[in-house]
Amino acid sequence: MTVELRDLEHIYPSGDIALAGVTLTLEGTDPVAIIGQNGAGKTTLVKHFNGILRPTSGSVLIDGVDVTSHTTAEWSRTVGYIFQNPDDQLFLESVRKEFGFGPKHIGMDSDVIEQRIGTVAELVGLSHKLDTHPFDLTPTEKKFCAIGAVLMMDPSVVIFDEPTCGQDRKGTARLSHIISSLRESGKLCVIISHDMKFVTMNCPRIVVLCHGTVLLDGPADEVFAQPDILRRSFITPPPITRVGQGAGLKETVFSVPAFINAIATERNARG
Amino acid sequence: MGAIVEVKDFSFKYRDARRRAVKHVNFSVEEGSLFAIIGANGAGKSTLCNALVGLIPHYFSGARAGKILVDGSDVADSTIAELSKTIGLVFQNPFNQLSYTAGTVAEELAYGLGNHGVPRDKMVERVETVAKLMRIDHILDKNPLELSGGQVQRVAFGSTFIMEPRILVLDECTTQLDPMGSEEIFDIVKKLNASGVTVIMVDHDMERVARYADTVMVLERGEVASIGTPMEVFSDDSIEQHGVDVPDYVSLSRALGGPIVITEEPAIEMAKEALR
Repeated sequence: MTVELRDLEHIYPSGDIALAGVTLTLEGTDPVAIIGQNGAGKTTLVKHFNGILRPTSGSVLIDGVDVTSHTTAEWSRTVGYIFQNPDDQLFLESVRKEFGFGPKHIGMDSDVIEQRIGTVAELVGLSHKLDTHPFDLTPTEKKFCAIGAVLMMDPSVVIFDEPTCGQDRKGTARLSHIISSLRESGKLCVIISHDMKFVTMNCPRIVVLCHGTVLLDGPADEVFAQPDILRRSFITPPPITRVGQGAGLKETVFSVPAFINAIATERNARG
Repeated sequence: MGAIVEVKDFSFKYRDARRRAVKHVNFSVEEGSLFAIIGANGAGKSTLCNALVGLIPHYFSGARAGKILVDGSDVADSTIAELSKTIGLVFQNPFNQLSYTAGTVAEELAYGLGNHGVPRDKMVERVETVAKLMRIDHILDKNPLELSGGQVQRVAFGSTFIMEPRILVLDECTTQLDPMGSEEIFDIVKKLNASGVTVIMVDHDMERVARYADTVMVLERGEVASIGTPMEVFSDDSIEQHGVDVPDYVSLSRALGGPIVITEEPAIEMAKEALR
């Protein structure tokens, strides 16, 4: 699945320029992070991937098809968008109904729906809550319910908007697990986040937005090797990376094991 | 300085809940200190925040035992309005904090002051000062409902801070902000704290907790699992069993085989040493 943005501009009715010409191609299965300061245009950008927002100028192509040629409802089979606030998305009386709603609407076979409810519920950790009313779920469970409802449609592109917001250690670990399962099954995950630890642990590619344009785009180690440019979009590298940079480590590292390896490599190189 | 907040054998069960959200919690917060509460989701952190500012029992009903003293008075015997002069809460979800009656950000900020009968010229002055501090002075005329999550979070923070409470309770108050935006807010918190304001904060960012807190309390399933200085709490190698992370610096210093460090600067020194 390929998402191609050509000179994408979006100007709000107020006259505010949210996107000032973004050209970007997202493809393959490696999760992509979209990061940048509040108001940089991250959410506005991804809301073009399924036509929730329409370009003021420029174009968005999904596998070569212009998004404006179909409705958002039609695109929901291809591009799933998980809202930042699950309350914006949930409205039925049980998790099971929430999961079944979209697929039923697009005419998915009822046996397939049943089977998918089982798989998706297990993936998002709600197998034991299928008959619970979404309002009786904890805030964390609500988030996973909203994720499950989107995954039920089996979209090829899955957009997560601030998924770690309010999650604890266990919830964050489950999110990582969901993202890696989606990647293995050939999906393209796009993740908007302010959580740099989460981003570097899950996304090989990083796109940095700043004032509606692409400031940096590349592999995580190359992007986070440029802290001075990152500061322009109010981004600071994650803690371990900053320690490495502060200590003069040549390699850009994101985890403790990588840090220890890099130290050994540099010492060996010196002999 | 003595304790400004005392929680004594406090337990609470929400009306329709099956189990108690917090049970037999005891702790006290020294005036002027920065006290952090950490723990997995559902551990009772927000319940404690609600209890400290009197939303429990005055807004949320349920079964309550023990007592909470704020500046010597039992919260159960004071009204929320009285308490709000002493203790202010910045909510986890900033949208829950909006008054939904204010047409502009300026009115939203002034809302609490109005309720306390602060004269108009004083009100305008405070709104301007706080708006500048929170960097929301350019959106004072906007409708609060049209703001981004990050902006609403700044407004929510400002509308609490404008009341000049002696105790600030922050329930994960920067989740919607970019990394430097959160740092900016915590710099303000640190300055308020240095000027004598007592801060009680709930946070999932352990590097931040280690950097700012004087005392850390770990909650697990409604009970206090550990309490002490950040160094005491994070250097305990059983701490992760309580569902919380440790700062990455702790894991790094363990892997480097050095003494435990919990903040960035000593971690850099240790790494430099290892590279030599």
